[in-house]
Amino acid sequence: MVDQGLSSLHYVQIDEKRCTGCVLCMKACPTKAIRVPDLKVAKIVGTCIDCGECIRACPQGAVKAITTGSDPSKLSRYTIISASPVLYAQFGEEVMPNEVLLALRRSFKYVYDQAYIHELYNVAVELHVKENRGKEGAIRPLISPVCPVVNRLISYRFPSLLKHVIPIITPREIAARELKRRLYCEKVFDTSEFGVYHITPCSAKMVSIKDPLFLKSSYLDGALGINEVFELVKRNLRDLEEDMMLHRSSGVGIGWGVSGGEIAGMEEGNYLAVSGLQETIHYLEKIEMGLFSDIEYFEFRACLEGCIGGPLTVADRYQAKRTVAKFVRMFGQEKRLKYAQAQKAYREGWFYSESRQGSPNRTDQRLSLSEAIEREERIEKIFRTLPGKKCGLCGSPDCRTFAEDVVDGMASVDRCVLMRRC
Amino acid sequence: MAHLTKIYSIKARDYLRAGEVSMQVQSLLKSIGFAQETIRRVSICAYEAEMNVVMHGGDGRMTVEINTDGICLDVKDEGPGIEDISLALQEGYSTASEEAREMGFGAGMGLPNIQKNSDSLEIVSEKEKGTEVKIGFKA
Repeated sequence: MVDQGLSSLHYVQIDEKRCTGCVLCMKACPTKAIRVPDLKVAKIVGTCIDCGECIRACPQGAVKAITTGSDPSKLSRYTIISASPVLYAQFGEEVMPNEVLLALRRSFKYVYDQAYIHELYNVAVELHVKENRGKEGAIRPLISPVCPVVNRLISYRFPSLLKHVIPIITPREIAARELKRRLYCEKVFDTSEFGVYHITPCSAKMVSIKDPLFLKSSYLDGALGINEVFELVKRNLRDLEEDMMLHRSSGVGIGWGVSGGEIAGMEEGNYLAVSGLQETIHYLEKIEMGLFSDIEYFEFRACLEGCIGGPLTVADRYQAKRTVAKFVRMFGQEKRLKYAQAQKAYREGWFYSESRQGSPNRTDQRLSLSEAIEREERIEKIFRTLPGKKCGLCGSPDCRTFAEDVVDGMASVDRCVLMRRC
Repeated sequence: MAHLTKIYSIKARDYLRAGEVSMQVQSLLKSIGFAQETIRRVSICAYEAEMNVVMHGGDGRMTVEINTDGICLDVKDEGPGIEDISLALQEGYSTASEEAREMGFGAGMGLPNIQKNSDSLEIVSEKEKGTEVKIGFKA
């Protein structure tokens, strides 16, 4: 594929010393961004959307997501933590969300239960969808802006669907914005030298903070992987004595960790939740063909089963799912917010993102239409001579991509091992 | 002039693989780098035309011709043919089978949708022989 010029910034990296050149990451990559030249070391050469499929695929542990936690010296003096509720589901069914928050409090200056914001966000989306309902020429289906991988996938492969993504700020950003506003106004600290960090299961949060698609700049200062704080929380949990209520959210906010959790918090409507990268791509292709216009709102999550399946989690996704289900039952489906207040905030534009850029650093197509058609002809011609076995031995993920690489001068045809054999 | 032709075959009543051809067309156009709006319009038409063959036609094929002036989809099947083309172009008119309707197809929006999203449409049909639909788009 011609590089569409999405920002080259990405936070997934391959450790060349550990890589054995086995090609599994290359095969797993949904944007075909990885090559293994001469089957030596895998390299990210194309557009990476930070989905983390390669992290999961690598048997050597050679692929890592870079976060702020990778270099703790970068943390601000005062660290404010806003944790994804997926963290609550990492320590088994017996450890309560409040205990996890208290354990965090021992190591960080200030800890916030982000799940509460999810309830507010649900109201905003409900109202937005309602406004869209029955409107002449309304865009349908609308798409959730919550999953940063899906946002990047749309920006890169389905740019015509960018206008379907609703212009509402994600809960993690609202949480960071409001925390900063409050802590600053109330002068909680004697300095402004504090940063808000998001604890996340997601390998794409860093890029969404450093190079956001729908905001001018992120309100967050960084992200820590759940895997990076897991041991610390576990240690702090051991002799927990503090007794303070940091947990404010109902089951609605906590339920977000699992696919379907976002729309479960919304009033009745024609919504659909889809999880898994391949499934998501399939649905986006169909939406681009004009299908699913009866659906009002799509919740897409690139990770299978939702964020509990994120690449930076520690607990098994199905056990975590069970834990989330238990918390949802325990803390109930009744929202704890004041609806009228949320509604007022919505009317005042509290939830709207100020920028609708959607595609950062997008450069113009380098080829003219006639050049592009000629390139396609040459690719076709080479592709027809290839064996079509998708073995990956040439260092490209499949024959079609190999043909593209040959035409683009990145590989030579004699790299095809099977053709040499015949 | 740069010119590309690709032919895809479509199987009648294969609801499992239905939509596969239009997806390939969609990805071909993306690979070349057509404008988003063009890709969207062609995708919608390719899908509707493919579904028409799956639902009504005998087996068929879709020929995609691409040059710098634009894109042409030529969809030809060996189905029963369309009895009254002007009727078939009306929204909501459908002769889809019970089977197709059960699967959520046959809303009678296929050809009207194609007409709405294309720059030119030509339908030639003969009873018991088949149908040929030519859909044109300016680049």
